Amino acid sequence: MQSTDAIRYYVKGAFQGVKETPEVLEQQEEVIANLSAKVDDLVSEGKSEAEALGIALASVGDLGGLAAQFESAGPKPVLTAVVYGGRLDFHVVVVTVAVGVVLMMLSVALGAIAGGIYPESGLPLVLTLAAAVWWIATAWKTFRQAPEKTESRELAYKPRIRHALMVWAGVCGAALLLELVTGGFWPWPIWVAATGWLSHVWAERALIAHGMFVVPEETASAASSPERREAIGDKVLA
Amino acid sequence: MKRGDGVEDTLISSDLIRGHIDTIVLGLLVDQDRYGYEICKQVTLLSEGEYELKEPTLYAAFRRLEAQGLVRSYWGGESQGGRRKYYALTPEGEGAYRRNLEDWKRARRLIDRLVSGMEVKE
Repeated sequence: MQSTDAIRYYVKGAFQGVKETPEVLEQQEEVIANLSAKVDDLVSEGKSEAEALGIALASVGDLGGLAAQFESAGPKPVLTAVVYGGRLDFHVVVVTVAVGVVLMMLSVALGAIAGGIYPESGLPLVLTLAAAVWWIATAWKTFRQAPEKTESRELAYKPRIRHALMVWAGVCGAALLLELVTGGFWPWPIWVAATGWLSHVWAERALIAHGMFVVPEETASAASSPERREAIGDKVLA
Repeated sequence: MKRGDGVEDTLISSDLIRGHIDTIVLGLLVDQDRYGYEICKQVTLLSEGEYELKEPTLYAAFRRLEAQGLVRSYWGGESQGGRRKYYALTPEGEGAYRRNLEDWKRARRLIDRLVSGMEVKE
C-alpha cells in the first residue's frame, strides 16, 4: 500500500537524529501502525487514500516532541577553544619538564637513601636531560617564530590521555626489557622521564581550564570572558 | 506535561482535559485491551467530536503509565501497517483508575458548588 510507505517516511523523518535503540524502533513501529490504522479507517469511511493520508498526518501533528524524549544520536559536539598555540605549548613543555625534574630528583634521593646507585644510569640521565633541553628549545623556537599565532584546539582530553598512557606503557616496557636483558636496574631514568612526560596532557588541560593562553572575546569568537572561561573550565574538567 | 506536547486547542479548552488524560486512557482499558488508534478514536466518539486526543499526547501518557506500572504493553498480530502495540490495565492500574474516578467525582461536585455563584447564608 502506497500510504504505508509515506507514513514510514514521515515517521522516520521525525525521528531523524535520534539514536536507533530497540525502544526507539518499537516506538516508531507503534506510531506507524496506528497511523496506518487511521488511514484504513478513513478509507473505509469513503475517503480517498491520499485524502486519508493527509488527514492522518495532519492530525498526528509534530512528532518532534515525542522524538525528543529519546536520546539523540551521534557523538556530542567537541568543544573547542581558540588558543595561542605556540605560547601554550611552550608553557606546557616547561611545566612538564619541571615535573620531570622534580620526579628525577626525588628518584635520585630515594636511590641514595636505599643505597641503589647505578653508575650506568649516568647515560640515560644525560640522554633524558638532553631530550628535555631539546624539547624546551624546540617549543621556544616555535613560540618565538609566531608568538601571536592562534589556533583552534579541541578540548577532548580523554583520547589524548589514553594515547599518552599507551606511549608511556610502551617506553616503560622497552626500559624493562633493557633491564631484563642487561640484568641491571640502571635504565630507571627512562621510567621516570616517561612518567614526567605523561604530565603534559594534564598540564595543557589545567592551563586551558584556567583560561590561560585562550584568545579573548574581542579577538576570537570562541572567547575567554570570565563566564566563557568558567564554562570551558567546567567542560574540560568534566 | 509540557505545553505543545500535542494537545492543541480544540473545541474545548485542552487545559481542562490535560490533567485527566491518564484517567481517560486507564478508563478506556478497563473493559478491553486496546492499541493507540483505538483509544484516539474512542475519545473522539465519546466526546462527539468536541475533543481530539492527539497521538503524541497519547504516546507520552502510555510511556508515563507504563513506567508507573499502571499499564503493560504487548505486540499484537501483524496488520498491513505493521504490528500493533496493545495496552492492558495492570491490577495497580485498575486501582489507580478507581481512585482517580472517585477523586474526579468529588472534585466535580465541589467545583460545581464553588463556581455556582450561590451564596451561603450564615
